Amino acid sequence: MTDPLEDARSPRDRAARQRFVLDDTGFDEVPKKYRRFYRKWGGVNDALARNEVLCPVCKVVIRSTRELRPGDRVYCMPCMSRLVVSVGEGGRLEALVAY
Amino acid sequence: MSDPHDLPKEVFLDEVHSFEFWFQAVAGYLTERPNGHDPSIEEADLNSSEREALITTLCNYAIGETAALEASSGMIRFAPNRRAKIFLATQVVDEARHLEVLLYRLSELGVTHLEEVVQSRANRSLLAFRKRLLQFVDGHDWEAALFAQNVILESMEFSVFQAHVERADPITGDMLTGIIKDERRHMGFGENELGRRLAETPHIRARLQAVKKELDPLVLDTFEDTLEQVGVERSERPELGRSYLASVERLGFAL
Amino acid sequence: MSGFLSAYSIQNWLESCPQGYLEDTQYGHAPGQTEPALVLDNPTLLADTIRTTVQLVVGERCALAASSGLINAAPDHASKAFLATQTLDEARHVEIFTQRLYDLGVKKSELESTLAEHANPNLVKFAEVLLEKVDKGDFIAGVVGQNIVLEGMAFSVFEMLQAAVSGVNPKFANTLSGTIADERRHVGFGENRIGSLIKQHPERKADVEKMQKEMAYHMLATFSTQFAQSGSAMQEGQRMAQAAEGNGAEAPAKWHGADLATATPEEMEGVLSDTVLKEFKVRLGRIGIEYQTPAAP
Repeated sequence: MTDPLEDARSPRDRAARQRFVLDDTGFDEVPKKYRRFYRKWGGVNDALARNEVLCPVCKVVIRSTRELRPGDRVYCMPCMSRLVVSVGEGGRLEALVAY
Repeated sequence: MSDPHDLPKEVFLDEVHSFEFWFQAVAGYLTERPNGHDPSIEEADLNSSEREALITTLCNYAIGETAALEASSGMIRFAPNRRAKIFLATQVVDEARHLEVLLYRLSELGVTHLEEVVQSRANRSLLAFRKRLLQFVDGHDWEAALFAQNVILESMEFSVFQAHVERADPITGDMLTGIIKDERRHMGFGENELGRRLAETPHIRARLQAVKKELDPLVLDTFEDTLEQVGVERSERPELGRSYLASVERLGFAL
Repeated sequence: MSGFLSAYSIQNWLESCPQGYLEDTQYGHAPGQTEPALVLDNPTLLADTIRTTVQLVVGERCALAASSGLINAAPDHASKAFLATQTLDEARHVEIFTQRLYDLGVKKSELESTLAEHANPNLVKFAEVLLEKVDKGDFIAGVVGQNIVLEGMAFSVFEMLQAAVSGVNPKFANTLSGTIADERRHVGFGENRIGSLIKQHPERKADVEKMQKEMAYHMLATFSTQFAQSGSAMQEGQRMAQAAEGNGAEAPAKWHGADLATATPEEMEGVLSDTVLKEFKVRLGRIGIEYQTPAAP
């Protein structure tokens, strides 16, 4: 069976997105090559960028090199969760765990 | 490195459950913490009652970590796949490390006869929880053991340690910060592994609901007791229990 | 390090393994190292290499189940901590030898069927004897079976394999040197910890000796069938190693007096069995257990 999450982003959709250059923010809980894709969450006042979403399982901010949109799949490597981006209360992006 | 979010699902799962991943992940935060904390941090001036409360709290953390060590090691034998076996092996060493640094911290606080002191200050509900958890392990009950350990126990520890870090003396805080980083993996493994199994075999849900009902009073009693020792105001405690409640809610269990 | 932490501590393990000899390795070897073409391109050698690697995975899976299962039965924190590090060592060995099977061309989807097809039934029986003790929570018999018998066997097998491949397969030789370093700690723990427990519980000797005899029998039977199957591959390997030597490659070493460039499978089986059994005898003698000679398989 095809994983429905694999096909979440079409190439056309991807092309229209804003791109981001990620820097290492000092998050040290994953191997070095993955560190810039995660950062610590600063609490409720921490405003997330358009390429970021909060992991509901372990409360780490997941970052992508491109703007995130509803339906995107992201991985939280610190807690090994597969997540789907969706629109939460107030229009904010949030991630739902996909077991 | 291209975006890890583009990895195929199976590649991602193989990667994060591997020894190699663990090995490179813990190197980031263990290298600078010999014996569990930054050696340059100076001991705070604790008064007698603060010191006693801290010792009791750390003794109970040691009981919890011993339970996790015994359970995670016992579960390897009947884990359903190689990925889970290898992940659990990394968890075993994480738990043993936690136990070791907690005992080391107790010795720094002047505790001798560690094993006796730990037992004498153990919370009864936590001991009952440990006993029940090990019964699940001895019965090779994968779902119940995983639920009790990696969802319930780990979520409780995650919340309590986070609350404690905010109020702890600098050395204890630094030690707990290191432990929390490991708990993220353990908790995430439990929730995701169990979530996948529940999706495949929904009939186990009713049995796990009964396990939850049985263990909840023990968890909540331990939770209350520890937060009291750590100095968390009663009004703040429900908020701290949300991590545990949110996990079980995501798995679809009634609260 | 403070006196509070014994040599069995996680701290000691961290300083010697992840921050020591495993640093900068990937699946146990230097990044970028690959299996040599002389193995990958030769069907006889490839099939034999896969069959041998399967036995390593089977043995390490047994060690993983045993070391993790013994943690609950351990009588003190230091032993629990040591066995926790051993559990992770064994899981790493399972992982790196499994990865080697993939490097040799085994498909991930065919891993379990490949293991089932090639696992030596005598090695499986060897594992069952040990895991029965572990299941009963018998710490003394479990540690003797695991850390002296199983690890003692693994130690010699790895050394022999390393000597055999050192000139022709640096990748696998590197992988083996890391596992040998781990086994050193495991056999050391077995002897030191059990030595004192046997003194406290001399009534356990007879049972432990019976288990050793049984495990040794299955081990010899494993060696016998493995070498019987490897005859043509050994000859092929020796022929290719000689050709490579002519092109400047390092000459195969000697191992315990056997010339690996010319030894027959029967000779190698004899040398390996003799080496392992002598080691058992010496190690068991040191902890107060009388070595029992197994029947010839």
